[in-house]
Amino acid sequence: MSISMALFSPPISSPLQNSNLIPKISLSLLSTKRLSLVSLTRASSDNGTSTPASATTVEAPTPKPVSVEEVLAESPSASENGAVGGEEIDMTTTMMTEIKFQDAKWVNGTWDLKQFEKEGKTDWDSVIVAEAKRRKWLEDNPETTSNDEPVLFDTSIIPWWAWMKRYHLPEAELLNGRAAMVGFFMAYFVDSLTGVGLVDQMGNFFCKTLLFVAVAGVLFIRKNEDLDKLKGLIEETTLYDKQWQAAWKEPESSSSSTVSSKK
Amino acid sequence: MATFALKSFTGLRQSPTDQITFVSNVPSSLSRSQRRTSLKVTASRASPKLANRSLRVAVIGGGPAGGAAAETLAQGGIETILIERKMDNCKPCGGAIPLCMVGEFNLPLDIIDRRVTKMKMISPSNIAVDIGRTLKEHEYIGMVRREVLDQYLRERAEKSGATVINGLFLKMDLPENWDSPYVLHYTEYDGKTGATGQKKTMEVDAVIGADGANSRVAKSIGAGDYDYAIAFQERIRIPDDKMTYYEDLAEMYVGDDVSPDFYGWVFPKCDHVAVGTGTVTHKGDIKKFQLATRNRAKDKILGGKIIRVEAHPIPEHPRPRRLSKRVALVGDAAGYVTKCSGEGIYFAAKSGRMCAEAIVEGSQNGKKMIDESDLRKYLEKWDKTYLPTYRVLDVLQKVFYRSNPAREAFVEMCGDEYVQKMTFDSYLYKRVAPGSPLEDLKLAVNTIGSVFRANALRREIEKLNV
Repeated sequence: MSISMALFSPPISSPLQNSNLIPKISLSLLSTKRLSLVSLTRASSDNGTSTPASATTVEAPTPKPVSVEEVLAESPSASENGAVGGEEIDMTTTMMTEIKFQDAKWVNGTWDLKQFEKEGKTDWDSVIVAEAKRRKWLEDNPETTSNDEPVLFDTSIIPWWAWMKRYHLPEAELLNGRAAMVGFFMAYFVDSLTGVGLVDQMGNFFCKTLLFVAVAGVLFIRKNEDLDKLKGLIEETTLYDKQWQAAWKEPESSSSSTVSSKK
Repeated sequence: MATFALKSFTGLRQSPTDQITFVSNVPSSLSRSQRRTSLKVTASRASPKLANRSLRVAVIGGGPAGGAAAETLAQGGIETILIERKMDNCKPCGGAIPLCMVGEFNLPLDIIDRRVTKMKMISPSNIAVDIGRTLKEHEYIGMVRREVLDQYLRERAEKSGATVINGLFLKMDLPENWDSPYVLHYTEYDGKTGATGQKKTMEVDAVIGADGANSRVAKSIGAGDYDYAIAFQERIRIPDDKMTYYEDLAEMYVGDDVSPDFYGWVFPKCDHVAVGTGTVTHKGDIKKFQLATRNRAKDKILGGKIIRVEAHPIPEHPRPRRLSKRVALVGDAAGYVTKCSGEGIYFAAKSGRMCAEAIVEGSQNGKKMIDESDLRKYLEKWDKTYLPTYRVLDVLQKVFYRSNPAREAFVEMCGDEYVQKMTFDSYLYKRVAPGSPLEDLKLAVNTIGSVFRANALRREIEKLNV
């Protein structure tokens, strides 16, 4: 047990700790009983200085390649070397070994869909989650591209309805619910104030405008910050144009006075 | 410098020896600008004919913009002086020129070190897309060495009759009257006196500021500041077998690790590759971004030796004022670098030429004094021709360089043949070509799909973070 704990500690010494654990878990944890181990090691994740090399060699049954060893101490220092510009830096010695993204289901630069099958059909949800994990891993540990192992996965092979079901529908439900609640109360409120019933409200232009505003508000403003974001967006879209037109706006110092033009 | 005996400001001029010629183009330019309602012409008076001499124009800066401007001016019969501070300046630059530049500027083919016909766009999650399948046989992106190109253009200007001076422009005295000369203060290097040159002054009628991103001419006329990006580049000599991969291929890396608002690149040069990146908003982290770029290309540049490190500013948008009286800015000094791709060489040369053409036309081949309205014609023409291009690239940058999901979608979109064709058409020939509406619609749908998928994955990633 303690050996296995030490086994997991080298990944911990890298800067971004939790994220490192996840893919390692996915590849080396072939059975669920190791999950308890992971929770233990996570708790102890702050002792970064652990015995790196010796522990990893104990790892027998994992499908991980041997390249994942005692690299972590090296890679930050290697980057310092690289930062000294202007010198002749031979890049062969540094960064020889590095953690790369590995997963049993990631075969030849793409996800092997056969491994994602559930009851005879591909479980697209798990493909999406796996790809998200891969991207997260890469965001935290950027990797070199290689001509020998190109990444060929294309997200468009996942059918549109899988995306819809997973992302669009829950959000649509949420927004529709909000719109329905707002709409119901507004209809009641207006009715109690003016006595105009729902059907007659729909015929009124002002009420139709209110309805439009309510729908747009529910769609575009979901958090308080969205208001500022929208304002920033509008300003952003016109900024470049303004910068170009600045040459046509004449300050008073010049001899002519002009009317600034908008093309 | 001849002075004119002025009788009145409204038309007829009396010059000492010549017959008065009422300048005929003034009324037409007046009515044209009145119709435009955009600006009042400063010359409601006639521009006088110059007695006994041609118009004198100084071009400050001898890069592509300066070289092209000086050549056009000299060919137009104008007395041209080109001032360049470093004749063998090895500019840190991507060095990519579009195909149309070779034709438009009659560049000899041996200036081009390499012809890039393939590009690879690499997304944050290392999905690589090959671009260039739609290129025809004769189409390519030319990679040049800036010192070679700049020298060639300067030599051509000299052959056309321009005087090339090796000197550093210091400052400029603005004229008091509308027809007084500009007095330029500069230090002339003659190669023998070593580092310190001789201080000299020169009187000219008009100035074209082609002195780059840190333009002193721009400062002299109070042109205002602009936002700029820092581009950082390392030239790396890699082993020959790795170099064959980059024979005619350039790479673009996008991702938050490589740059928050630009891209990292590996461009092949004559016998080495240039690996670099750039940013506007996080200039302090540029070294970190450079490391990340090198890391992403690591496998392909392993064993390489860094032979040079360079950095330079790239303007992000034009300066608030691009001309003032008889001084006009062109090229990087004016801020004519596109967004999204950061392309500047072609636009520098073209703007230099356009400005020079406006001066030649306005002065009637150097016979007349020019004024601001003539230079404004150059601005009008420039904005009319290229503003759509700039706008489109700005939109692309705003939409697709925002965040990692947007970049993933961008790379996915680049895999589409229609996109590649449109992109190359507009890049190589500098025209925003209208595509077919059906394909445009398909493209719009695909774009929305890609962006949606990428954002959905990002939400999934955020869920994992929790």
